[in-house]
Amino acid sequence: MSSDNHDRDDESNGATATTDKLSPMDLRSEFSHHDPTVARINNGSFGSCPSSVIEAQQRYQLRFLQQPDDFYYNHLKPSILRSRQAIKTLINAGHVDEISIVDNATTGAAIVLQHVKWCFFQSKFNPGDTAVMLHYAYGAVKKSVEAYVTRAGGHVIEVNMPFPIASDDDIITAFKNALELGKSDNRKVRLAVIDHITSMPSVVIPVKELVKMCRDEGVDCIFVDAAHAIGSIEVDVQEIGADFYTSNLHKWLFCPPSIAFLHCRNPEVPNLHHPVVSHEYGNGIAIESSWIGTRDYSAQLVVPEALEFINRFEGGLDGIRKWNHQKVIEMAEMLVKIWCTNLGTPLDMCSSMAMVGLPACLGIMSDSDALTLRSHLRDCYKVEVPIYYRQPKDGEVDPVTGYARISHQIYNTINDYYRLRDAICNLVSSGFTCKVFQD
Amino acid sequence: MGEIRNHGDHPEEEEDDHHINLPKKPKLSSFLTQSQIHHEFAHHQLGVARINNGSFGSCPASIIAAQKRWQLKFLQQPDDFFFNQLPAQILRSRTLIKDLINADDVSEVSIVDNATTAAAIVLQHVGWAFAEGRFNKGDAVVMLHCAFQAVKKSIEAYVTRAGGSVIVVHLPFPVNSNEEIISEFKLGLAKGKLNGRKVRLAIIDHITSMPSVIIPVRELVQICREEGVNQVFVDAAHSVGSIPVDVKNIGADFYVSNLHKWFFCPPSVALLYCRKSSLSSDLHHPVVSHEYGNGLAIESAWIGTRDYSSQLLVPEVIDFVNRFEGGIHGIMSKNHEAVIEMAKMLAKSWGTNLGSPPEMCPSMAMVGLPSSLGVLSDNDALNLRNHLREKFSVEVPIHYQPLKDAEVGPRDERCGFITGYARISHQVYNTIDDYLKFRDAVSKLLQDGFSCRMLASREQ
Repeated sequence: MSSDNHDRDDESNGATATTDKLSPMDLRSEFSHHDPTVARINNGSFGSCPSSVIEAQQRYQLRFLQQPDDFYYNHLKPSILRSRQAIKTLINAGHVDEISIVDNATTGAAIVLQHVKWCFFQSKFNPGDTAVMLHYAYGAVKKSVEAYVTRAGGHVIEVNMPFPIASDDDIITAFKNALELGKSDNRKVRLAVIDHITSMPSVVIPVKELVKMCRDEGVDCIFVDAAHAIGSIEVDVQEIGADFYTSNLHKWLFCPPSIAFLHCRNPEVPNLHHPVVSHEYGNGIAIESSWIGTRDYSAQLVVPEALEFINRFEGGLDGIRKWNHQKVIEMAEMLVKIWCTNLGTPLDMCSSMAMVGLPACLGIMSDSDALTLRSHLRDCYKVEVPIYYRQPKDGEVDPVTGYARISHQIYNTINDYYRLRDAICNLVSSGFTCKVFQD
Repeated sequence: MGEIRNHGDHPEEEEDDHHINLPKKPKLSSFLTQSQIHHEFAHHQLGVARINNGSFGSCPASIIAAQKRWQLKFLQQPDDFFFNQLPAQILRSRTLIKDLINADDVSEVSIVDNATTAAAIVLQHVGWAFAEGRFNKGDAVVMLHCAFQAVKKSIEAYVTRAGGSVIVVHLPFPVNSNEEIISEFKLGLAKGKLNGRKVRLAIIDHITSMPSVIIPVRELVQICREEGVNQVFVDAAHSVGSIPVDVKNIGADFYVSNLHKWFFCPPSVALLYCRKSSLSSDLHHPVVSHEYGNGLAIESAWIGTRDYSSQLLVPEVIDFVNRFEGGIHGIMSKNHEAVIEMAKMLAKSWGTNLGSPPEMCPSMAMVGLPSSLGVLSDNDALNLRNHLREKFSVEVPIHYQPLKDAEVGPRDERCGFITGYARISHQVYNTIDDYLKFRDAVSKLLQDGFSCRMLASREQ
């Protein structure tokens, strides 16, 4: 299941290492540090990093340890710029100034939301003005909105969308309604936080359409939280047209923990600062973010090496995306067939992840059940997969209340999914229900 | 500093610092030899006289190896690491730090990236107080003239922009005694309050960065309390591992120190101590994540996916320092003695002086540079530092100290005014050759009739 469509011709021509396509053996070697006993079908949470990129990172770490002053004065800045330039090309940004490198999407969100906070402080926004975000927005981002927007006087409106979901239309309609509500009573919608791929449950959101709706409504600040996007779906920030767009490179783009970019359509907008203020304060968000005190910046410096790795895969990044998507769908359909359940979304709303309904008889009745079942699968079956609890609607008979969010990354094999299949079948046939966790 | 025990020890065992312990782990049967110390720092670039431990710190090979083991654990099975290992390990580090600094309760100890981050946490809290009307426009924050540049910027970002005012207290340098600092601080603070401003927060360095001097913080905190300053934040970026730290004795509300500078941790990790009080419960990490509202220490323990490995090594570092005679106290004493000896050697060779008396030096000392080098601006100081790195492989930061008065100031043996100082550091890996190399580099510059003017004109 790993890349068995490598190009043998390259190897027999004696091509150099960087243009050699990855053989199945290369692939296994690149991810040999993964615990071999674990069926690792949760690339979405923490990502993964091949050993050749880790080695490149360690070379940077060593250079700092060897002579930190020299590294700081002569090497750090150009290396960060190199990474930023690579990202600019990858996401079709207009100018490298628009690209800041930060630790993760959580940090990207803090920067954007702190900017919104200042707009409230300086009365650019009025108390009670609204912020619209998806009900399925990431927990950490919701907290950040509470910490910076609600606390500064903003009012939050959540967009409720159904799950399972049938089509983009469900989302677009719900979002439209939320914008209407946000404008009611003479308020203005000042901020929209839109996921590109929601985390739990995982759904690909029609961001281009939603951003356009926000623009038409005159929403001041449109922020796309695309933590999962880069490396799993196509990203063209100019086409999407948001004011801010953030994505993690350690999830699906093979960088080590941790690195993300924050794209700012207008990086010179006032009150846009990294919250950890250091010497570079006032020199622009990208430059501020490139020095926030002494720390290990090595993960931010290996973007070129990660892209080199990607280009060893047939079709490069595009090839990887298509492959992962194709495979995760195949595995998802295999599982729903065996378990007689359903997918949470249509196929075209899956990325390199899919929401697979779990048998209703497992009796997943709460978020706590979902978490405990996840731990149970890890501890007793060595299967790593996050579980989502979906509250059933009134009147539903034998509802599917639990979904497994399966991921596919290039290191996965069909065996990983057979193990999940068998673990669940085993639980079902032994009469297991989540009620046992209450004892 | 609070007592440090080997983390594996039984508390009931008596321990004499000079007693050679019976090995619990087979290899640790005696103190590290010079050769072993050399190996621990063999990754330092050969040929460089590395006398700037103060800026970026240093980390021994055995700690780096321990860090790699943690990094590997995450890469092997990140979910298991996140759920089952990370929280307990961070708590373990925090608990050891609490003992190290003599804090009352582990809830008072948060681990953050560096002192810069800690400053952002404390100052953002001040910023909210202005925005939410707890502080009034014009209320003041006090800082030292020589506060670290990043902290000054943070004050601008969170205090000035929120409507607060800043009282800047100038401290003398060169300085001859604690009394000079105490009286200057008293005067400066009183002057700043003249128009009846309420002083909400004082930020005081424990060891200033440039020029580097140990500040009598306990006394200054006392003065702040007497003068009605609401809260005191001690920026002690350099202190853990170079001077004893007892936060209860110091009595500040907030105290931050980096552990990667002088406490052998890899980049980067710092402790932020917040004295238990109703006020400190409203501190938040600026990178808001799932743990928002669960207290600063818990918030700081998870700020999104990243590499937390440098925060998990305090136990291994304690083992490492206990392989030196006298443990961390022995290291601190030896570093201090050595840096003073080297400083005096250099001052004698150049006919200059030290910027402060030995008892006000930690593991760093400010050594006057010969006046003829012509360090007459911050730019000159930076250029000279780069020149020393590039042409002589000597790494040492240079400080420009303007004269208070055109007629009066410290003079060198040729009677020129001393306006440049080198901040030399001593850490366990340094040898006398590092300082001789620096001495000789400066002698060569003098011989060649060098002056910083030449570097400036080259730039143009």
